[in-house]
Amino acid sequence: MELNQIAEEFDQCIKCGLCLATCPVCKELLLEKYTPRGKIQLARYYSRGDLPLSDQYRDIFAKCLLCGACTVTCPSGVDLKKVFLGMREEIVGKKGLHPMMEEVVRSVITNRNIADEDNTERAEWREPLKDLPEHLYEKDRAEVAYFIGCVASFFPMVQKIPQNLVQIMDAAEVDFAVLGGEEWCCGFPLIGAGVPGKMEELIAHNLEKVKALGAKRVVFTCPSCQQTWKECYNTDLELLHATQLIEKLVQDGAISFKEMHAKVTYHDPCDLGRHGGVFEAPRQILRAIPGLEIVELENNRAKSVCCGGGGNVEMADADLSGTVAQKKIEEIERTGADTVITSCQQCVRTIKSRARRQKRNIHVMDITDLVVQAMSGGKKH
Amino acid sequence: MISKSIVDALRSIVGDAWFLDSPEDLATYAYDGFLPEFKPDAVIVPGSTEEISQIMKLANREMFYVTPRGAGTNICGGSVAKKGGVIMAFHRLSKILEIDTQNICAVVQPGVVNADLQQAVAPYGLMYPPDPASMFVSTIGGNVALNAGGPRGVKYGVTRDYLLGLEVVLPMGDVIRTGGKVLKSVSGYDLTRLMCGSEGTLGIITEITVRLVPLPPAKATLQAIFADLDDAAKAVSAIIGSGVVPTTLELIDRVVLDVIGNYGGAKFRKDAEALLLIEVDGEASLVETQGKKIETFCKERGAVEVERAGTLEEAEKLWEARRTAFGAVASLRPNCIVEDATVPVKRLPEIIRKIVELAGKYQLRIGVLAHAGDGNLHPLIMTDLRDKEEMARVDKALEEMYEAAMAMGGTLSGEHGIGIAKNRFLDMEFNRSAIEIMRGIKKVFDPNGILNPGSFLSIYDNNE
Repeated sequence: MELNQIAEEFDQCIKCGLCLATCPVCKELLLEKYTPRGKIQLARYYSRGDLPLSDQYRDIFAKCLLCGACTVTCPSGVDLKKVFLGMREEIVGKKGLHPMMEEVVRSVITNRNIADEDNTERAEWREPLKDLPEHLYEKDRAEVAYFIGCVASFFPMVQKIPQNLVQIMDAAEVDFAVLGGEEWCCGFPLIGAGVPGKMEELIAHNLEKVKALGAKRVVFTCPSCQQTWKECYNTDLELLHATQLIEKLVQDGAISFKEMHAKVTYHDPCDLGRHGGVFEAPRQILRAIPGLEIVELENNRAKSVCCGGGGNVEMADADLSGTVAQKKIEEIERTGADTVITSCQQCVRTIKSRARRQKRNIHVMDITDLVVQAMSGGKKH
Repeated sequence: MISKSIVDALRSIVGDAWFLDSPEDLATYAYDGFLPEFKPDAVIVPGSTEEISQIMKLANREMFYVTPRGAGTNICGGSVAKKGGVIMAFHRLSKILEIDTQNICAVVQPGVVNADLQQAVAPYGLMYPPDPASMFVSTIGGNVALNAGGPRGVKYGVTRDYLLGLEVVLPMGDVIRTGGKVLKSVSGYDLTRLMCGSEGTLGIITEITVRLVPLPPAKATLQAIFADLDDAAKAVSAIIGSGVVPTTLELIDRVVLDVIGNYGGAKFRKDAEALLLIEVDGEASLVETQGKKIETFCKERGAVEVERAGTLEEAEKLWEARRTAFGAVASLRPNCIVEDATVPVKRLPEIIRKIVELAGKYQLRIGVLAHAGDGNLHPLIMTDLRDKEEMARVDKALEEMYEAAMAMGGTLSGEHGIGIAKNRFLDMEFNRSAIEIMRGIKKVFDPNGILNPGSFLSIYDNNE
């Protein structure tokens, strides 16, 4: 991103400070330099040549969840997230990678995944599944490509998510395939690390593999993968989040739910909700489950507060990510719900890990977990 | 610049973590919501009244300036280090110390955010009425220092009206307490109210006792569209004159409505020259009658359309245009000057006509927003500070607007403060004797001119 492009954005900032109201980071770190307004000021100082990119600059700009809450709040329409991403890129250009992000960048470039594992291990999530079809979902042709994403492929805590979605799609007789070891990281972590320029090979590869399937649409359980495809892949393919697909399957009667008695709340993931604009699909799914009581969080939809898992902050400052997650947990507890449902493996991980560490008794589920539980009829073949 | 020995002394008072002087910190405490920036020499974040007292004693001994800053949302330059020195921030003093439901009051530290207080008292069926537009960010300490108002001011008044008591560190470092939980107190001079609106020039507020009121059970929100700006302004003074006291009565003119529409906000009918947003609150039955009364009033006075919200969501929708207004206007040109000259409500139609006339005369783009119910105007001057020729025209227009407001018995500033935004006009509102009294007060409190120097009295006081 060119510096003058981001300058257009921060020139619009009137320093009113309203962004401070919704930034989860500055609520924890207090000082003005950590506020969105402060970061805009630092970007402006740098661009005018008034301050050099110091180590503190790098630290400050790494302490941002890229959750976009400030952008939504800004009365002058400044795209703050764009400025912060631009600054991360600028900082890498001048000072090199953030030390805490070197590993993930190296892994994505060399292994094609964030987990520093051989990419053929990507299919390991399948192992616990019984009745796997012969093709192991790696078919040659399919109407729908399911892009699983690194986190759900490699992190045991959330491998249930792809296990769930394939069961759901099987039950609804969706013609789908996964790419197995040929799925490469979508490139999302590289954007947050300030090296979007290194995404090209990943993009080209993933597009080629999906096209080879003859797929018309790609379905994602990871909102960040979906958002990255939407913003960077420049493709005509229909890009659907799992909640959008499931909503449609419910509408078409391809799957149905039995009664469930629980009080749940729903956390809107930043990339699905605020950035992707998908607020209603997950709620429609929840409403379709008979007996389920749904209570909204105080801050819901576009006002949803990040779980703490965004912006590579978990890598740059794990404590900060944890204290933001803590606030999320407290907000969830105030609803009186037994369970929080969300639609993102990263949100599940972040909230669950913090709750475990703090011994908080809240139940965290991905929406696909709930759907599988509520489905009646099970597999049709 | 402050010397190494002062830096060491400040560090030893607050601890290393809370004394900041990196270039990044200085750059980010150089501004508030007003236009000019001033870089401080250091930023200090004290954790107690005692630390603040020590800092002020040191400042007087070593003669360095201290400027208190809440959330930095004021738009008069009240919290910038106009002559350098140290910015004092209140991030660590942000506790609600007590919610006293028996005496219906709350005791808070200065760094508590206004909306957080509102949220904390709501479960008790209570409300803290002052609601400045910055309420989700601005602090109670800053609200007191600036005597913040807000849309609800028509019915509920401003910060001053809810202030019961204070703890204050005086500029020399002594600590005083004023008022308390009593609703009535006539002992001595009213130092509580003197501190309120003093813009951080008389003392540092370290504890605040505020009065709360019962949360009104019902609310009605109406929107009236007028094809004539003058009719709208007249409807405002007629409503107020009729004995109905709305909670809020906001006016938006055609210029601003157009900007909102172009910005992607609500679009209004072509003949809309002004919009009134009116709210009444209280007992449900009363709200019902008052709502109807206002509806009839607006129609009788030329409203071409009156809409009443049936649900909270609909009410929120009606508010959306008003909330979008400032940002939409502000993003049009490089700068937007938000004025807040205020007149007795009966004169509202006249002052609005004057503003429209001045916009034409000086070829400026000015939109009019107003907390119309209390005569508090917010003309939005869309301009470019870098354009000297245009700024000269802006200055002339402002001067004429203030002269007109003064002639109508108004004031330079309804709720934003004087600061460095309007200090040059102060003698329009006060005669020499009144200004001398203010200078005298300042000297009694702050003989060395340590606290928030360069603020509104500075042009009369070269010692600062």
